[in-house]
Amino acid sequence: MLGYLAHRLLVMIPTLLVISVFVFVIIQLPPGDYLTTLVTELQAQGETMSQERLEYYRKEFGFGEPVVKQYFVWLFGLLQGNLGYSFEHELPVADVVGDRALLTVIVSLGTIIFVYVVSFPIGVYSAVRQYSPGDYALTFVGFIGLATPNFLLALVLMYLANEYFGTSIGGLMDDQFKDQPMSWAKMVSILEHLWVPVIVIGTSGTAGMIRRLRANLLDELHKQYVVTARAKGVPAGKALIKYPLRMALNPFIADIGNILPEIISGSAIVSIVLSLETTGPMLLRALQSQDMYLAGSFLMFLALLTVLGTLISDLALAALDPRIRLGADLAK
Amino acid sequence: MINQYAPARSNRAQTNRAQTIRAQTNRAQTNRAQTAAAQRRSTLLAAAAGLGLLAGALVWGLTANRAHALDIVDTPFFADAVAAGTLAPVADRAPREPLVVKLDRPGQKVGQHGGDIRTLMTDAKDTRQMTVYGYARLVKYDRDFELVPDILKSVDVEDGRSFTFTLRRGHRWSDGAPFTTEDFRYWWEDMAHNEELYPVGPPAFMKVRDAYPQVEILDEVTIRYTWDFPNPDFLPGLAGASPNYIYAPAHYMKQFHVKYADPAELQALVEKEGQRNWSALHTRRGRLYRNDNVELPVLQPWKVETPSPSDRFVFSRNPYYHKVDVNGLQLPYVDRVIVNLTEKKLVAGKAATGDLDLQGRYLRFDDFTLLKQNEKNHGYKTLLWRIAKGAHLALFPNLNNKDPVWREVLRDAEFRRALSLAVNRYEINRVVYFGLALEGQNTLLPGSPLYKPEYREAWSDFNIRKANAILDRLGLKRRRMDGLRMLPNGEPMEIIVETGGTSTEETDVLQLITDSWREIGIKMFIKPLSLDNMRRRVFAGETLISISSGWENGLATAAMSPTEQAPISQVQLQWPMWGQYHETNGKAGEPVDMPEAQELLDLLDTWYRAKTDAEKRQIWTRMLEIQSENVFSIGLVAGVLQPIVVRDGLNNVPEEGLWNWDPGAHFGIYGMDTFWWDRDALKLTQQ
Repeated sequence: MLGYLAHRLLVMIPTLLVISVFVFVIIQLPPGDYLTTLVTELQAQGETMSQERLEYYRKEFGFGEPVVKQYFVWLFGLLQGNLGYSFEHELPVADVVGDRALLTVIVSLGTIIFVYVVSFPIGVYSAVRQYSPGDYALTFVGFIGLATPNFLLALVLMYLANEYFGTSIGGLMDDQFKDQPMSWAKMVSILEHLWVPVIVIGTSGTAGMIRRLRANLLDELHKQYVVTARAKGVPAGKALIKYPLRMALNPFIADIGNILPEIISGSAIVSIVLSLETTGPMLLRALQSQDMYLAGSFLMFLALLTVLGTLISDLALAALDPRIRLGADLAK
Repeated sequence: MINQYAPARSNRAQTNRAQTIRAQTNRAQTNRAQTAAAQRRSTLLAAAAGLGLLAGALVWGLTANRAHALDIVDTPFFADAVAAGTLAPVADRAPREPLVVKLDRPGQKVGQHGGDIRTLMTDAKDTRQMTVYGYARLVKYDRDFELVPDILKSVDVEDGRSFTFTLRRGHRWSDGAPFTTEDFRYWWEDMAHNEELYPVGPPAFMKVRDAYPQVEILDEVTIRYTWDFPNPDFLPGLAGASPNYIYAPAHYMKQFHVKYADPAELQALVEKEGQRNWSALHTRRGRLYRNDNVELPVLQPWKVETPSPSDRFVFSRNPYYHKVDVNGLQLPYVDRVIVNLTEKKLVAGKAATGDLDLQGRYLRFDDFTLLKQNEKNHGYKTLLWRIAKGAHLALFPNLNNKDPVWREVLRDAEFRRALSLAVNRYEINRVVYFGLALEGQNTLLPGSPLYKPEYREAWSDFNIRKANAILDRLGLKRRRMDGLRMLPNGEPMEIIVETGGTSTEETDVLQLITDSWREIGIKMFIKPLSLDNMRRRVFAGETLISISSGWENGLATAAMSPTEQAPISQVQLQWPMWGQYHETNGKAGEPVDMPEAQELLDLLDTWYRAKTDAEKRQIWTRMLEIQSENVFSIGLVAGVLQPIVVRDGLNNVPEEGLWNWDPGAHFGIYGMDTFWWDRDALKLTQQ
C-alpha cells in the first residue's frame, strides 16, 4: 500500500512538470505580450502610451528576455510558493485569487453535492424499475440537461429567476453585499443566486452519473447471488442495498478525479456568462491579456488539485473495494 | 446804518432797534455758534462713523477666511464628523472663492444633498471613469465646448504662448492639505525632470518644437508657463477626458521620493509593496487618473474608498471640493457613487431590471428596445444622446498595404469614390439603426461651426451606375464567367474587410454592403478578428480594408487641433505606416509619398503656427476639402444614438446631450456633481 502511494506521488512530479511546460508555452504562444494587449486597449479608449514608456515597462517586467529564462524564473518562483505578480491587477497573484477562491469552493461543493444527491436516487430507481415510465422520464430530463449548452441554460434560468423570483441578474449575491463580511442576509442572498449555476453545471454531470450507476447496478442485479438472496427470502430493500449497491458505488468514488476538473472548467463558462465572482472570469481575463503569472500559476494550481484529486479517488476506491486492493496481489 | 438825514425817532424806537439789532446779532452769533457747534458735532460724528467703519472693515478683513460672499451649506453626510470635531466646518473646508455653479440652463434645477448613485462597470480598471465623470479639471469644457477655468480661479493667455494660472486661495486636497503652486513645482521639478521617473525627459505634451517651457512661480497661488512659440494644445490637453496632469499632491508623494524620504523608510516601503525600486513605487502610488490608491488625495468631487481588488467600489464625496451652487450648498449633491463590476454582456440586462441609477457606458443602441420595454416596471427612463463621432462606422482602405498591385488600386481616389458610391447608406440606416442615424461621410457633424453639408454628402449617394462607370474608366475589366472585376494583373477583386472586437453590429453592416458591392463587381469577405490582431495586421500592411469608428471629435471648432485629419499616428487605420513614421520621428514606418497626404501634414504644421482664428479656420476648411475630395475613409453612418438609463427621481440629467469622449468626458460636461435626488427617491437609494 505504502509502496503504491509512494509510486503515485513520485509519478506526480514529472506529470506536473510537463503540464507546466504546456501551460507556459500555450499562454505565450499568441504574438505579443501583456504590454501589447494593454496598448491596444488604451488606444481603443482614445488614450495613448508613448513608445518610450512602453520600452521602459518592457524592461521593468522582463518581457525582453528569452522565453526559456522567463519559464525558469516562473518555475522557481512556483516551487518556492511565490505565485508571482499579476500585471493586470498590479498585485501579487495570491491576493487576486484569494478572495474569489472561497466562492469558487462554495459553487463547486454545491454542484458536487447536487450531482450526488440527484443522481443517486434516480440511478437506483432507473435500475430497479428498468424501462418503466418513471425511468424514461427521469433519464430524459437528465439528457436534456446534458444536451443543452450550459450558457443557454444559464441565461434561461437567470431570466426566469428574475421574472418570477425577482433575483437580481448576474453575480452570486446582490450588489450591496459584495465585500461585506458574512451575515445572515448575505448568506440568504448567496443561496438565492446559487441555485442557478449549481443546476446548470450539475445537470450535465448528473446525466452521466445516472447512466453509469444504472448500468452498473443492472449488471449486479442480474447476478447469481442476488437471485439466491431473493429466493432465500431476503427482503427486497436489503437485498438491494447490502450487496449490489455497494458494488455499483464504484463509479461514484472513481469519478471524483474526473468530476473536479469538469466542474471547475464547466463552471468557468457559466461563471463568465452569469458574471459570478469566482475564478472563471478572472482566468479568462488573464488569458486574454496574457497576464502570464496569474494565468499560469492559477492553472498550475488547478493541475495540482486535479492530480491530487485523482490520487485521492484512487485511494478511496481501493479502500472501498477490496477487489482492487487484492487484485494487484492476485495478479502477481 | 443809521441815516443821518432821517428824522430822529424816539429814543424808545432807537433803543428798540438797537435791541433788535443786538438781538439779531446775538441770535446770529448764537446761530453761528450753533452752526459751528453743529458742524463740529457732525464732523465728530462723521469721524466716529468713519473710524467705526474702518474698524468694522478691519474686523471683517481679519475674519475674511471664515466669511464668504455666500453662506456655504454643508451636507448632512458630514454632520456627525463635524459635530465630533474630526472634520472642519464647511466654511473652512471650501476655498475662499469657490466656483459658484449657476444651474441656469433650460431643464436644470437647483438641488439638495443626499443619496447614492449606482452605476456599472466591467473591470477594476474602469474606476478611472470616475475621474472622467467627476470632470474636475484645471480648465474644462462647458456645454458649448468653450474652455473655462474650473479648479483654477483664472487663466491669462498671452500671445498663445504664455499661460498664467491663478489658483483659489484656501483650496485644499481631499485630505485637507493645501493645494498650492508647490504641487505644480513638485511635478515639474521633482517628477518630470527626474531621470528615474521620466527616463526620456518631461512628457511630450509639454514640448513645443522640442523646447520645454519656462516655469515661473510668482507666489503660492500664481504660476506661469511660457514657451517661445504658441501652444494651442496646452489648455485642451488639461481639459481632456483623460487629462494631462501638471500637478501632483506633493505633501503625499514626497514620502515616496528619494529626494525627500528617509532612505531606510523608503526602502522598507518599496519592499513591502513588492516593487522594483522607488520610482516604480512612486509611479504606482501617484496615479491621479486611475483611482487605484485609496490614500492618494484628489481634487475630484468623489474619492475612492475601496481598495483593490474588489467587485464593488464605493466613491464618497470630497469634503474639500471647490464648487458650490447658488444657494451655497457645497457640491456634489450626491454623497456617494457606487461602482459595481459585472460582465459586459449583462450590463444591459441589469440596467433593464433596475440594478442601477445612471448608465451610459457599455450600453449600445441595440439594447434600446430592451431598455424601453422595462422602463415602467423598474422605474427608470431611457434617454437617447447622440454619439458625436465623425462617423459611427467607416471603412478604411489601407493605403500602406504590402501588395503592390492592390496598393496602386487603393491609392487611386477614383477607386475609393466608386466604392463609396456603391454603399447603400439609407439601407444600413433603416435596417440597423431604425433610420435614426445620419448617413454620410466621415467628417464633421452638423453641430460644428465648420460644418458644411457638402462634406457629408460628397460621394455618399447610392449610385451603382456611376460607380460602375468609374471602375470601367479605370480599366478594371469584368470577368466573363461571374462578372467579378479583375485587378490589373488578372486576379479577381476579392476584398477581405477585417473587423475587430466581438460586436455583431459591424458584421451586420458589412453583410448589407456585400450585396451592393457585388453589383459593381467586387466580392467582399468579412473577417472578424480580435481587436489586437486586427490592429497588428493593419499596422503590418496586411489588411486591405478595415472597419472601425470614424473621427473621435465630430464637433470640432477651428480652435481645436485638426490632428485626426493628417497622418500622425499609427492607429489611423487608413495610413498606419505614415502615421508611425511621424510618431516615431522617422525611426519606423514609411514616409508619406502621396502629395495630398503630404499637404495635410503641412497644413497641420501651419495650423500650429497660426496666430489668428481666421487663419486656423482657413486651414481647417482646406483640410476638410482635401479629405472630402479624396475619400480617405468611407464613412457610413454617424450620429448614432446612445441610450442613457436614468432612474426616476434623479434630476439635472439633460434630456438631450452628446455622448463624446473628448471633448465631452461622457457625463463630465453635464456636471455629474450637479445631479441630485428627489426627496422620495432619496429614501429608496439609501442602501
